This record gives sequence, C-alpha cells and structure tokens, in this order.
Amino acid sequence: MSRDPQGAGATLAELLKSPHVTSPTRQVLEERLEARHEPRALQADEFSRLQAVARRLVPPDPALFVPGEPDLAGAVDHRLASGLGDGWRYDDTPPDLEALKELLDVLPVDFVNQPSEGQDAHLRRLQERLPHAFEDLLAELTEVYYSHPLVQVSLGVAPFADAPGWTRIGLDEREEWEPQVGGAAPSPERHG
Amino acid sequence: MADLRDMGRQDSGPHGSGRQDFDAVVIGTGAGGAPLLARLAQAGLRVLALEAGEAHPPEAMPTDERAQAGLFWRDERLSAGANPLPFGNNNSGCGVGGSTLHYTAYVPRPQPDDFHLRRTFGVGEDWPLAFSKLEGYFDELEGFLGVSGPATYPWGPPRRQGYAHPPLPLNGAAQLMQRGAEAVGLRTSPAPNAALSRPQEQEGYGLRPACTNRGFCQAGCSVGAKASMDVTFLPLATRHGAEIRAGCFVTDLERRGDRVTGVVYRQGGQERRVRAGAVFLAAGAIETPRLLLRLGLANSSGQVGRNFMAHVGTQLWGQVEEEVRPHKGIPGALISEDTHRPEGADFAGGYLVQSIGVMPVTYASQFARGTGTWGAALTSHMRGYRHTAGINVLGDCLPQPGNFLELSDEPDGRGLPKPRIHFSWGENERRMNAHATRLMTDLWTAAGASGLWTLERSAHVIGTARMGRDPRRSVVRPDGRAHDLENLYISDNSTFPSALSVNPALTIMALSLRTADGFLAARRKGESACDRGALEQT
Repeated sequence: MSRDPQGAGATLAELLKSPHVTSPTRQVLEERLEARHEPRALQADEFSRLQAVARRLVPPDPALFVPGEPDLAGAVDHRLASGLGDGWRYDDTPPDLEALKELLDVLPVDFVNQPSEGQDAHLRRLQERLPHAFEDLLAELTEVYYSHPLVQVSLGVAPFADAPGWTRIGLDEREEWEPQVGGAAPSPERHG
Repeated sequence: MADLRDMGRQDSGPHGSGRQDFDAVVIGTGAGGAPLLARLAQAGLRVLALEAGEAHPPEAMPTDERAQAGLFWRDERLSAGANPLPFGNNNSGCGVGGSTLHYTAYVPRPQPDDFHLRRTFGVGEDWPLAFSKLEGYFDELEGFLGVSGPATYPWGPPRRQGYAHPPLPLNGAAQLMQRGAEAVGLRTSPAPNAALSRPQEQEGYGLRPACTNRGFCQAGCSVGAKASMDVTFLPLATRHGAEIRAGCFVTDLERRGDRVTGVVYRQGGQERRVRAGAVFLAAGAIETPRLLLRLGLANSSGQVGRNFMAHVGTQLWGQVEEEVRPHKGIPGALISEDTHRPEGADFAGGYLVQSIGVMPVTYASQFARGTGTWGAALTSHMRGYRHTAGINVLGDCLPQPGNFLELSDEPDGRGLPKPRIHFSWGENERRMNAHATRLMTDLWTAAGASGLWTLERSAHVIGTARMGRDPRRSVVRPDGRAHDLENLYISDNSTFPSALSVNPALTIMALSLRTADGFLAARRKGESACDRGALEQT
C-alpha cells in the first residue's frame, strides 16, 4: 500500500458516505473499487506480459494515492472476454483480441523480466510498428486508470460528487466538498 | 393473417401493446425520429417507434464515464481513410432518445448562407430548401426544448423571438475564452444550449428542473434538464398515444411494388413484424444507409452511403495557473461565430469557435491517443488536469467521392455485415483546420494557457442519403420521402446535402417536424390513392 499523505483515501470514503454521491454513481464506484479480474481471454503468459506493458504505459503515479496496483490488465482482459467492443476499430487493425495478441507476440519472451529501460525501448518500437493497435491499448489502459475514483480525488477533483450540483464553477472556484489534494502545478512542456 | 396476429400478441408487455398495424412506423428515437413521432401522434395517427437500444431514465444515470458505455452503439464499425473517424463514445447513439442522450445540447442555428455553399463558393452542394423554410421550426424548437441563450445573439439574421431562458452560467473554460477573445479582437456570446437555466413544464413528462452544472452531459443527463428526446418529444408522443418499443433492431422492410408494407425486427432473440402505412427511417447516418444498402432499397441514384461528411472539429488544449476543474458546467458555454465567413480565408465555408469542458477520463484518453504520450510523461501531464481548459471549432466539410460508407465482408454479432466508413480530409478541411489552429493558438496564448497541444478531429456523421430535387443525384426529396418509394421517408443527418457550420441536432429536429407536416398535409389532401388504400386497411 502506498502512502496517502494527502488523505485521498479518507476524502473518498467520506464522499462516498455523503449525500453528494447519488446512488447509481455510488454503486458504479464501489464496484470499481472492488474489481479484480482473473484472466479469461488471454493465456497466462500473455496476461503477465500485458501486466508488464500496462505498468510501463500507465505506471502508477507516485504522486497519487491508490492502494495496491490498479488492475489495468485485468480490466482489459475482462472486457475482451465479455466480447464487448467500444463500437469501432481501425480498418487496418484486426479484431480487438487478435490485435492485442499480435501486439504481445511481438515482444521478446523475456520482456517481463527486462529492466524498465529495456522494456520502454521495446514499447517505443512497438508504437512505431503497430501504431493503431498500440494506440487502442494505450487508450484503454488510460481510461481504466483515470476512472478510478481514488486517482480522480488525488488529481484534486471529484466529478462524481455532483449532488445537488455545482454552483462554484468559475476559475479558482471550489465547492467546500471538492478535494484539495494532489495535482502538481501545470507543466510547461509542449506536446503533439 | 392469423399467424401475424399471434405474433403481435407476444409483443404485449412493458414495451408492447401487441398491436401490429400502424399508420406509421418510425425507426430510431433520436433527434430525427422523436419530433415526427410526436407530430404524427398529435395528429391522431397510430404510430410506433422501434428503438434498437434500451431506455436510460435520468434517475438511473451514473455520473461516470465508463458506465456510460450503454448509451453508445457498440456493434463494431470499421474506420478507414487518412482521417479515420472514431465511433462508439463519439458519433453514435443507442437508447430511447438516441444520440441526444449524450449530446452536449449545443444548438446554434445554421445561418442562411450555410444552405447554399455551392452558389457562394462554387464547391459542395446547395440544399434544395432555404433557411426561411426552417426558421419557423427553429423558433418552435427553441421554445419547446427550452433553449437557454443570450438576450441578443450577435450573429445570423435578426431573430423573431428570444431564447426561452437566460443563458447558463459560464465555467472556467468560457471565462478563459472571453479573456483570450477580448485580447485578439474576437466577439463572443454565451452559447445557446438546449439545457434549462430555469425549470420548465414539459407535456407528458412533468417538470424538468434547471441544469445543476453537473457537466457530464456526454455521459447522459441525470436530472432531465438537458433536452434529450426521452424527456421532451418522446413523452409528448406517448401522451398522444404513440408506442415506443425498446431493444428492437430492424432487419427488413417488407415491400409490395414501390411501397413499404411492413417492418421486420428482432427483439430479445425473436423475430417480429408489424404492418406500416408509412415508414420513417431515422437511424442516423450510419445505420440508415447500412440498412438501405443491405436491402438494396432507395438506391436507384447509387448515392446511398455516398457524400459522407464529418465536421472539422479540432480541439486545442492548454493549462493555466488558475484551477479550472473542467468537468463542471455546460461544456459549450461560450461561442463565437466571427469565423463564420472569415475575411481573406483560403477555404470555402466557415466554422464556429466554442469553449469546451471535459471529463477526466475523456481528456486522459484523447491526450494519450492524440499525442501518443505514455509512461511518466502521461501521468505527469494528467496531474495538471484541474488546470486544463480547451476550445474547439466546428466547421463545414465538403463531400468527396472518396468519403463513403460501404458494407464490409465481416459479420457483426448479429451476423450482419459491419459498415466500413472511409474518411479523409480534403484540401478545404486541411486549410480550415490550419486557419482554426492558428486562431485558437493565438486566443489560448492570450488567455494565459501554456503547454498547448491540438487534437485534430472530426465530429458528427453527416450525409449518406442526401436530399435533392434530382432523383439521379439524391436519395430523398426535400420533404424527406425517398425518390424510389411511395411511403419511405428518411429523417436524420443522412439527408443533409452539406455539413453546415454548426452542430446538427437542431436542424435534424427541424427537418423531422417539416417531414411530418409535409406527410400530414399530403395525407389530408389524399394525395395518392395508395395512401387512401392504406388508411382503409387500418
């Protein structure tokens, strides 16, 4: 368990008990906090490779508080096993499960045991070689991670605590129940 | 007949009266289907709406981005071309209310010159009807839906009536856009949004409360303040006797000669059929042409699936010193249409500029996709989420031969061919995007944002069954009726001859009401002997 210097865990627990979270929202969040999935779609070796990939693509942010390691790979496998897609795919990319297996197959057999610098070098090559399949996986892992309510609270927001609604919505305005924890100053680096 | 009646009786239940004969059957309950369903029901017709998705009542709507997946069309679509279009949680809708369940309710009107791009610029396609034919419907819709907007709207022709409600409050992104626009000399205005700033009584539904600034419009409104069809036109329709059957996927249209006589659909693994005096196809610019292509219907022009368009919808993001918490407030709170026909532009048409709110998962996902960033660079960027603010544009798109929808060889979960959509920007879209990116960069820099990045994207699916007077070049007439069939109408964004420089929802609804009025007028006149025959049968 990581440290929780900012009290994100307590903030979330408090919010979930409060009337600021509606019951359909609370139900979704509580289920998510509990969720752990055993691999069903992928073989054991594929799954451990996916776990290693997930750890590099969306590493747990040391500045955020999340107990244990978020089960990103499990969520992807779970979605694939359910047969549900997200409604589209790139025409040049095979169906989701096949695309993921192809992606994992390109990685060396000892990928999971390599140091992180080595893993990152493989992943950069993978991103160039299979850009669309890589992008789809990266996006899904990112969505799973940032939908974790503790991650959101650690970022200093609680969009799910929306009842009865927001009145302080302008710049530098904050409702008293909004978390103040987490979140570094904006980074000046350019992207894209 | 007897076996049909037996089949009909199985329909009884929460979503079925068991009736199997209707004056009109509407396929789809979004912005194209719901308004005309209500209009026909109000005129006393026996009408049925078939909706592929399920009901999503506001009070059951979680404030959560991943739990919203049920609002989207999850049957896979294949995206091809140089600018492949994402579907799923963008550009699709599934549920009683269609895409209006997750639209942001942004409803600026098109301007009169949007309807004649070819006359003005010599490219694209003119509409076979003028702005004046829709103006009355815009007035009606803004009142009925309860659009919140400014007392004086700075662009377009003088308005005959004000917006129904005062504008919604400005969130952080809107304040920043005001600041930046002032610095670069761009006029702005609170945007018209079909979400209530004051409570409004809605016939058949009850009191819709004012917007709570929850900001999760794209995940479905949980209070009923947003004018999605399920809290506006659909309750009006059912109040007047319309029936809505959810979870019904249409597989076939039965025909006799040049008339459609019935609709075949699957509900819960069972095949069912109803007889229809007329059919209104309102399944959107993907499922509408997909069904017509599969059945080989209404396509003597060869235009079904052609002229596919999507708005230039590039977004620009940055971070500011202030806390923005961009998930709060109506996402598109501020607008500028000073770029509707920008001076000295090297492209046809124009665009609007809007401030945008964004939910955290959506932002993280599009940052990862849009920039390819991963690892510590991704998580460190996301630590600035609450300081993040964006603007985007929405602009015209010209039809091109290379942009179209076709049926692939790959079957989906229902065993039906997946649609493949080819989409690439042409020179006009590239130039507009470059112009818009320069403008947004200046504006956001002036507003004090840093770490700018752009997401080149396209939004809204438009075209694929366009309207026109010439049956050799278009699929439907200006009133929405298919050129090839006596009683098949199309009412959705597939009939748009050009993309318009505004969000499509308001125009889809206006055309829907116009199609209904045209149909009812023709029916009253007893225009065709066939119509009378159908009336006598039912």
